[in-house]
Amino acid sequence: MTFRLLQNFKGGRALVITRRAGWETTLETTLAKLGVACDYPEIVDGRAQLDVGVLQPERDILFIDGDLEGAVAIEVNPASKLPPVPVIGLVGVEAPSRLKALVNLGATSFLRKPVHGGAVYTALFLGINQFLLRTDMYEKLQDLESRRRGRRAVIRAVVTLMQETGLNDDDAYSALRRDSMRARQSLELYCEEFLKRRARPPDTPERPSSITLQGVNKQAM
Amino acid sequence: MTRTTYRIGVMFSTTGSYSVVARSMLNGAQLALAEINAGDGPIALEPVVVNPAGDLAQYRALARDLLGSGIRQVVGCYTSSSRKEVIPCFEKFDGLLWYPSHYEGFESSDNVIYTGAAPNQHVLPLVDYLASRVGKRAFCVGSNYIWAWENNRIFREALSARGGSVLAERYLSVGDTEFDQVIAAILEQRPDFVFNNLIGTSAYAFFRAFRAACRAAGIDQANDIPVASCTLSEPELQEIGTEAVDGHLSSSVYFSSLNSPENAAFLRAYSRACPDGPVVSADAEASYIAVKLLAATLAQAGTDESRFVRCAVANQRLPAPQGEVRIDPQTYHAWLTPRIGRSSRDGQFELLLEARQPIAPDPYLVQSSPRFATSMRPPLLRMVKS
Repeated sequence: MTFRLLQNFKGGRALVITRRAGWETTLETTLAKLGVACDYPEIVDGRAQLDVGVLQPERDILFIDGDLEGAVAIEVNPASKLPPVPVIGLVGVEAPSRLKALVNLGATSFLRKPVHGGAVYTALFLGINQFLLRTDMYEKLQDLESRRRGRRAVIRAVVTLMQETGLNDDDAYSALRRDSMRARQSLELYCEEFLKRRARPPDTPERPSSITLQGVNKQAM
Repeated sequence: MTRTTYRIGVMFSTTGSYSVVARSMLNGAQLALAEINAGDGPIALEPVVVNPAGDLAQYRALARDLLGSGIRQVVGCYTSSSRKEVIPCFEKFDGLLWYPSHYEGFESSDNVIYTGAAPNQHVLPLVDYLASRVGKRAFCVGSNYIWAWENNRIFREALSARGGSVLAERYLSVGDTEFDQVIAAILEQRPDFVFNNLIGTSAYAFFRAFRAACRAAGIDQANDIPVASCTLSEPELQEIGTEAVDGHLSSSVYFSSLNSPENAAFLRAYSRACPDGPVVSADAEASYIAVKLLAATLAQAGTDESRFVRCAVANQRLPAPQGEVRIDPQTYHAWLTPRIGRSSRDGQFELLLEARQPIAPDPYLVQSSPRFATSMRPPLLRMVKS
């Protein structure tokens, strides 16, 4: 996936978690110009009546008033630190503890209260695109991590091919890489399947090997 | 009936590199002022005219002076950089700037009423026309400030979406007239057309130099590499001069060649009031519209206090020289009628296309741009020699 900047917010829905006091009119009218509708979830006993589970990241944006303590409970992904939808912090009291609380909720941009119309487009653009960028980076990290784990299979496949064919390590690696491209698979996935195809039945005696790799945990291989 | 007189500011750079257009804007505003004051309406307007001379610091200082003196409504500015320079001042004093020029959009200040065209009313119709009738390979030139940067960005994305491409973008300082390198690059690339966002004296010099260079190279510039603009107007055609005046495409909501009773009356009144010129431009008409709408709004509001004026301006309508104009209550921009024209040797525009009716302003291109920005990443695969 390649990160692309979102520049048209038409069809978006802003869920504004705040106690309505009049200043939010500017936010609502400016968002309307940008094609974004506003909803104000009710706050009962200090908690916003909001089902986070049904939020859609392609549509919804949470604006959370940092002056409300614990009004929203968002389960931020422990690995990515990302909330389920973009979060924009509304900052009244500019205290480190409140800013920290908004950051912990996954806020990727901020708007000062009372909201100034000229600041809304920037906050929305930054908040949504930082969310998308971080989501994209997290997916890339996961992909790289998965490939890093798969390098074990590559090493084993290279060794196996060297044993079977007498190729040196460079040529064995090149052959596997070429075959993985032909199969339209990542090298790591191809090597895992290569090894699975050669997995001996439990009662088959181990084939003799003249090649060993130093520092490799044979037990795990 | 008691008549109330309001003092208003009128702020145009009638000297400096883009003074020709600005003087036609001042003429348009003054014509409207004269008509309002000569009428028997409930209000009269007393203008305080200032000239920032194209200097951004002067814009800021003069806006502060006007608003500090108690004036709340100001008609003025041509360039986007000047508008952005004065907006903080209007916000501080809660004044209203009536901005009568086409611009690049992506702005909607509560302290500005925009009577000129938004990008969906000038650049997008031009892209449609160029891509379907002229070609899809563009070379962009512009003055080095936000108008050209953003208008080129919108143009590039819209052209890309229609299968076209921008071969290059070149920017020069406002007032710069040295075009040899840019023109050499254009002739080397041979685009289907040039998209021009140069303003003022830079634009006039470019049109002349490009026509001359094409002629020297045996190229029929107007037909082979036409220049298309969203700014070019009739007084500027006069500045370009007879040698290079014809064959240029312009996207505008107004041309003085429009055939309507309202426009005929406007042209007669304008030439009577401003015999020394400059001749009428789209921006002159937008300034005329701005003052007329301001007067109607003040009459309805019964005060020049901005919060009441802001409420009263919503849905104001005017039978303008270009056709009906009305203010959109959500964006405070105007519904206008897009048109495409081609300049002729007599310094006028021949009308090629026009919208059937006024279209809604879309300053953020919410209705008319792709959800995601065009990727500017270079291609991953490249042809190489084996």
